[in-house]
Amino acid sequence: MGADRAEGSTVTRVMVVDDHPMWRESVARDLAARGYEVVGTAADASAAVRIAAAVRPDVVVMDLQLGTTSGVAATREIVAAAPDTRVLVLSASAEQADVLDAVKNGASGYLVKSASLAELDDAVRRTADGDAVFSAGLAGLLLGEYRRLQDAPDGAPGLTERETEVLRLVSRGLSARQIATRLTLSHRTVENHVQNTLRKLQLHNRVELTRYAIEHGITDDPA
Amino acid sequence: MPAGSAVAPDFLLPLWRAVVVFRPAAWAVAVGSFVRSWDRYPDHGIAILLLILMGAWTAVVTVAYSTPAGRRSRMAGYDLLVTVAFVAATLLTQPWAELNGSAPILTSLWATGPIFALAVERGRDGGLIGAVVISGVLIAVRQRLGDQEVFNTTLHLLAGVTLGYAATTTRRATAVLREALAAEGATAERERLSRSIHDGVLQVLAIVRRRGTEIGGPAAELSALAAEQEVALRNLMTSRPTSAGGQTDLGATLRLRATSTIEVSTPAGPLMMDRRTVEDIGAAVGEALTNVAEHAGPAARAWVAAEDLGDRVLVSVRDDGPGIPAGRLAAARATGHLGVAQSIRGRITDLGGTVELRTALGEGTEWELTVPKARP
Repeated sequence: MGADRAEGSTVTRVMVVDDHPMWRESVARDLAARGYEVVGTAADASAAVRIAAAVRPDVVVMDLQLGTTSGVAATREIVAAAPDTRVLVLSASAEQADVLDAVKNGASGYLVKSASLAELDDAVRRTADGDAVFSAGLAGLLLGEYRRLQDAPDGAPGLTERETEVLRLVSRGLSARQIATRLTLSHRTVENHVQNTLRKLQLHNRVELTRYAIEHGITDDPA
Repeated sequence: MPAGSAVAPDFLLPLWRAVVVFRPAAWAVAVGSFVRSWDRYPDHGIAILLLILMGAWTAVVTVAYSTPAGRRSRMAGYDLLVTVAFVAATLLTQPWAELNGSAPILTSLWATGPIFALAVERGRDGGLIGAVVISGVLIAVRQRLGDQEVFNTTLHLLAGVTLGYAATTTRRATAVLREALAAEGATAERERLSRSIHDGVLQVLAIVRRRGTEIGGPAAELSALAAEQEVALRNLMTSRPTSAGGQTDLGATLRLRATSTIEVSTPAGPLMMDRRTVEDIGAAVGEALTNVAEHAGPAARAWVAAEDLGDRVLVSVRDDGPGIPAGRLAAARATGHLGVAQSIRGRITDLGGTVELRTALGEGTEWELTVPKARP
């Protein structure tokens, strides 16, 4: 997994998107020092989409407030153009609705900027491995979103009892390993459950966007 | 006007509608009273011509008072002059002697129309001027000042001034509302700006925190200070007043408790519940967190989570402290040293909810509160 990847085939290629130059350079430098290859940086949404398309990073570390442009839109476009590229949101203000939006639009994890370098390193590594990087706060947002979808008319995804149970424990701050012990599951199974809750929501969001586009006669991607 | 702000409705509109409806109705009354008093008019031709002209003028002012442009064109002043002319023209159809007696005047109630139009257009002074002029002309035409004239004049003055006051007050209220809406728009804009400024401040605090820890020594203290301010500012930004009709957002209430060691997890949307229930849950969570601070050690982290279960909410408070060994919990219960647990249990049971406590040595403590949304 993470270790295999770093020692084996290739170094993880990372791109940093943030409108604040000092922060951008600082994160890029830290990640480089931890053995990642920083293949690009961008300060706004359109540059992020353009550069990501050119350099094809494994992980994009994405801020949500990019001056007047939105990291949510950039996330959606980057993931749509290259499904192999994973987006890890690193946000300062953590506006609940923004974070939920970013995750629904394809981000596979979320971290507050106050997280330590070790936490960031771990999060980028796990994102590269295809795991969902969940904070307790994000699990709460997801539980809330699924509850909201329960009352939605039709075709909305729901959680299995096990998935609800797992998300609930994540929202209480338990690590995947602690959850595995408590529910007597394997660590991998817990990770899979968490990932599934995220994927179902992202898939539903894509379907909704497509339906909206068809209903409103928009044939091209609103790029 | 700032973009996005709503346009204030014109509260004068109903008053204008009354004026618009009054004029044709009054004209119909004039025609009716002419027909009824047919015998008392020596020259029917001129009277009918005057009534037709009055009808035409009624059409003109009705259209004018019905459109915003017409209302702005100061039509009421011309209306007054034209109406005075009609009242004077009555002399062509009825001899002085008749009018001086008890004969009905051709213009009848219709002549009072400009008083109302002026009152709505210019307020109290407009109503006063209109009433004085119309009453004066009527008295001049009849050439007498009997009880009937005094009564009518009083009525005109009263109606003109009262309606004028109402129009002025309404106009002021509209202006105040317009200002309030503009201010609201400005506030929304300011909030948007402050969010982006705050985001910048948060960035800098995050950098200070990060670099401070790396450099170590005195810089680590700076780092800790920056971390505290970061959380405080983030809470300030995310917590909004969310009360409505005796209901409060449980999520926002709990989010206020976040610190650098306490993480709060809630749905993104509001979790509305009875204000008193939210207060009680908040107090129970507060007690559990105080307990964490006292017993779990300074390094312990805590998580508060609130989940909407439809008719109930599930609230949990968990810490990663040393926890309570099984035997000690029972011992504490036996000796009555479980103050906090009793207190939390009491609060939640009063709400018709249940409390579960999960703890073991090395596993921290976990409170699980299930509370129905409806008050018992």
